[in-house]
Amino acid sequence: MATTKSKSTHSHSQSTPESASPASALLRDHAEQQFAHELQELAKADQRQRPPNWQLSPWAVSIYLMGGTLDNGFEVSPKYIGNRRLMEVAIATLATDRALLLYGVPGTAKSWVSEHLAAAISGDSTRLIQGTAGTSEEAIRYGWNYARLLAEGPSMEALVASPMMRAMANGKIARVEELTRIPSDVQDTLITVLSEKVLPIPELNTEVQATKGFNVIATANNRDRGVNELSSALKRRFNTVILPVPDSIESEVAIVHQRVTSLGRALELPAEVPALEEINRVVTIFRELRNGVTIDGKTKLKSPTSTLSPAEAISVVSSGMALSAHFGDGALKANDLMSALVGAVIKDPIQDQVVWKEYLETVVKERDGWKDLYRASREML
Amino acid sequence: MSVHVFGIRHHGPGSARSLGQALTTLQPDILLVEGPADAEPILPLILHRQMRPPVALLVYVPDQSQQAAYYPFAVFSPEWQAIRFALQQQIPVRLMDLPQAHRFAMESQEKQQEQGDKGKENGTEQSAHATTPSAPDPPPSPPSVNVRFDPLDLLAQAAGYRDGERWWEHLVEQRQDSTELFAAILAAMTVLRSEIEPGLVNPDPLEAQREAFMRKTIRTVEKQGFQKIAVVCGAWHAPALVQRPPAKDDEALLKGLPKLKVETTWVPWTYGRLSMSSGYGAGVESPGWYQHLWQHGARSQKQRRQKDFSPTLESSIRWMTQVARLLRKQDLDASPASVIEAVRLAETLAALRDRPLPGLLELNEATQTVLCFGDPLPMQLIHQQLVVGERLGRVPAETPMVPLQQDLQRQQKRSRLKPDATETPLELDLRKPLDLERSHLLHRLALLNLPWGKPQSVGNAKGTFRESWRLQWQPEFAIQLIEAGVWGNTIEVAAAAWTCDRANRANLPELTRLIDHTLLANLPLATTHLINRLQAEAAIASDLTHLMTALPPLVNTMRYGTVRQLETAVMGHVVDGLIARICIGLPVACASLDDDAATQLYPLLVAVHGAIGLIQQADILEMWQQVLAKLADQQGLHGLIAGRCGRLLFEAGVFQSDDMARRLGVALSTVSEPTQAAAWLEGFLSGSGLLLLHNPALWQVLDDWVMQLAPETFTAIVPLLRRTFSTFPAPERRQMGERVRLQGQTASGKQSWQAGGEFDRDRADAILPLLAQLLGVST
Repeated sequence: MATTKSKSTHSHSQSTPESASPASALLRDHAEQQFAHELQELAKADQRQRPPNWQLSPWAVSIYLMGGTLDNGFEVSPKYIGNRRLMEVAIATLATDRALLLYGVPGTAKSWVSEHLAAAISGDSTRLIQGTAGTSEEAIRYGWNYARLLAEGPSMEALVASPMMRAMANGKIARVEELTRIPSDVQDTLITVLSEKVLPIPELNTEVQATKGFNVIATANNRDRGVNELSSALKRRFNTVILPVPDSIESEVAIVHQRVTSLGRALELPAEVPALEEINRVVTIFRELRNGVTIDGKTKLKSPTSTLSPAEAISVVSSGMALSAHFGDGALKANDLMSALVGAVIKDPIQDQVVWKEYLETVVKERDGWKDLYRASREML
Repeated sequence: MSVHVFGIRHHGPGSARSLGQALTTLQPDILLVEGPADAEPILPLILHRQMRPPVALLVYVPDQSQQAAYYPFAVFSPEWQAIRFALQQQIPVRLMDLPQAHRFAMESQEKQQEQGDKGKENGTEQSAHATTPSAPDPPPSPPSVNVRFDPLDLLAQAAGYRDGERWWEHLVEQRQDSTELFAAILAAMTVLRSEIEPGLVNPDPLEAQREAFMRKTIRTVEKQGFQKIAVVCGAWHAPALVQRPPAKDDEALLKGLPKLKVETTWVPWTYGRLSMSSGYGAGVESPGWYQHLWQHGARSQKQRRQKDFSPTLESSIRWMTQVARLLRKQDLDASPASVIEAVRLAETLAALRDRPLPGLLELNEATQTVLCFGDPLPMQLIHQQLVVGERLGRVPAETPMVPLQQDLQRQQKRSRLKPDATETPLELDLRKPLDLERSHLLHRLALLNLPWGKPQSVGNAKGTFRESWRLQWQPEFAIQLIEAGVWGNTIEVAAAAWTCDRANRANLPELTRLIDHTLLANLPLATTHLINRLQAEAAIASDLTHLMTALPPLVNTMRYGTVRQLETAVMGHVVDGLIARICIGLPVACASLDDDAATQLYPLLVAVHGAIGLIQQADILEMWQQVLAKLADQQGLHGLIAGRCGRLLFEAGVFQSDDMARRLGVALSTVSEPTQAAAWLEGFLSGSGLLLLHNPALWQVLDDWVMQLAPETFTAIVPLLRRTFSTFPAPERRQMGERVRLQGQTASGKQSWQAGGEFDRDRADAILPLLAQLLGVST
């Protein structure tokens, strides 16, 4: 009896993503909506101690992120594929009331992890501040409803709370996306919030003190251009977890393949999904240049200034697909790949050019079966 | 009469502490320790004032220094503590493991057998393994390494740990309370052995013999009438020493074992080397961490009576403080506030993982996250300096001589060179075998930082077969020799291992220099390693001058060098890579040079050109010439370089005379800056007055160009020409003047050069047979 029950819940969980919200006109659900069922099951099974205002215990949060099977046979899907220890460090950080900074090259699932952490810990991932070059202090602290301010004078009612302020008052997790895009002087607003755990409101001669359970998850790029370095004062108030690029070529190829397939479908590209072999080559080139050493570990290479993240590999393959669909014979060839590939690798016209040429001459030229790639690249340069 | 068996983990600080407590309570009247029985005589040196662990017990065969086994000890090794305890209490200590004398003998027998069975292949491979100076572990791994799986891994897996060391650390080493510990270990091992052993397909006969010898020693001691016998051995062996089979079984196992003469001594060791696999089972990954645990354990026992004292928290705090101090020393931010946060994170992580206290993993993760801002680079530093630690041991002066010293003495005798404190000159003719051997020895010693002989520049004698040295032996060389003992047991092996180690940290020019030295010192194995390193280093070198400096000597050695045939292929690959990189990088590197940089690059360019000429490969030459042509046309290139490129291409026949004349005119035209034009001419002609005299084409180009100049232009340009021509020696200039006058007289210069035309056919024919004979072609 018990088994049939667990089976039925299991099948239900499979269908959750599609059927969770009846308003399926939404392009994308929040994590806590999409995986509501898993969170519910975890909360039921979770008997461990929960930090104040946490919806789950740290242990259950790690199960939610990494996936696993509960005692009652319920299957939790993995949200993050990679090193479990990194996620444990992230969760433990949030449990110590230190703020968490997820750092890494673009396309390494930083925002994804941040959203799911907030969903699992606070049951709510919507207290979000999007960092841009134009993010102002009001977006982090509070703004004013000017009509009321003029009519009634300064009061709590005339104040427009930021997501940060609401998170502090309710003891929830606040998220700051792209922290390094925010101008440095605005970034530093966070210092008081993170060290004193208060948000002063001098106009009203009062303050908002954070309730237990409040914390901040920020994400930031370390290799993008046009970012503002964090001041060391702010950096010290964060525990930094660097999310790495996939550590094995197999997982990277799998990620790229899966995304390219779904992208091609979404964009309705007439080209056939490229052979795994072609993706393999792109990922190999990316990994070799990124790591500065060939896959066999025998030859060292220079690394270009470009980031060469899996996200860029995805865009290289999909633009190659578009090229071959509209101007070629529909099958992905070396020629189609090459223009996007060169564009992805050579970001600095002089240094990267040297790096790329060296790579072509010392690696691509001599590799079996890569002659077409070498020829295509000679035509490009 | 009682026998107490203490199963320990080699180099476990917790084991050492528990063992110390157990021995103090037991007060045995004799101590037996797992260790080669041949080393007993030098044990008392352990108590010597100057003895500082980490040190290693070295057992070796005197006339075959390759056969050697190292038994390293750290201050936290249970064996070390146990022996110290016994020596201080003045109770007898015995080493009870099978003597290395037998083990070496058995090994060489096996080797001979293998060679007999399978031809030479296997034997050479094995000896190669023993001598290969693979870079990070300089002393060749001793033959006694036990490559079997770690049985503790099985228990660890059953308990859900990653490996045996972690499991043991959590269960045994970090335990604060050690009562009944050894009984529990014994029980666990008994069960483990009864599970595994019946299933072992191929039980190692050596293990059985070792245990038999240990039991035999225990029996002997029992017979001698000792009452409380303490036995310290690896946990794995414990059950076998408790349940002892009848004596005659063991006697049968040990009967007729072959024997070799061995000698033993102490050598200084390092924590870095402790972390590799050697004599005592598996290596320790983190000696520095163990040292911390050991010191902390000693401290916490003193402080236990204080109020509010939590030994676990104390340990994490001390570790983190050490980390922070190390980071600060490297000018990295690490405030006490961050230390607090790091300790908190480590504790929370341990709680999340259901561990009683943070282990090294948790502490490392907390360090990286809080103190290093997620950056893995400082973690390498922490790993080197703290987790492994850079401690170097010391041995007293009374220690018996190390094999390296003996090897040196042997070689000194053989090459008839006497160490002498007064300075004596030495002339070597490398064509004589004895002198060649001497030269190798001196070069090897020089590599080991023992400058016994200082090379002198060879006077004006031409030829590479002469070497001149000044010999002076200094007393401190003896100490350096002991220190060098960690690198190997013969001068050759040690020099190779030391070179490899240095190569791992060297940059490109240093590497080429090292290659030079190793070739002189005749260390083929080190050379191979150096070439591999060179390849890796060249790939990431961004300084083109480094690459260009490295190329010519390499090509030279490849072309004329003493390198064996085998390596030329590898070397050729490296050289090809170097040239490809130079060709790609040169145009960019030449883009904006000032006078100084151009003068620096100029000789490199010439040298690289010469080297590429030496290689004599058409495709490489073509690639190089394309680069030169590109350079010659490059806008804004420094005149010196551009001029030389033009000249090199002209000589190679890529630029024809009329083309060259045009270029000459363009470069020296009035619009170009006079300094640039002068530099161009300098690059084009410098150092080649003689060549100008003897190369009619070059002469012609210059002559044609001068002839077509308008008189005013000529006047304007004369200073530039003078500037270059004045660098030629006076006799050359005079000859040039004469030639110009001569040509003026014969009206047309061309005729004077091509005047030939008519020659005496008969006389020419007469030469042909001899010429054919000289060239080796049949007519």
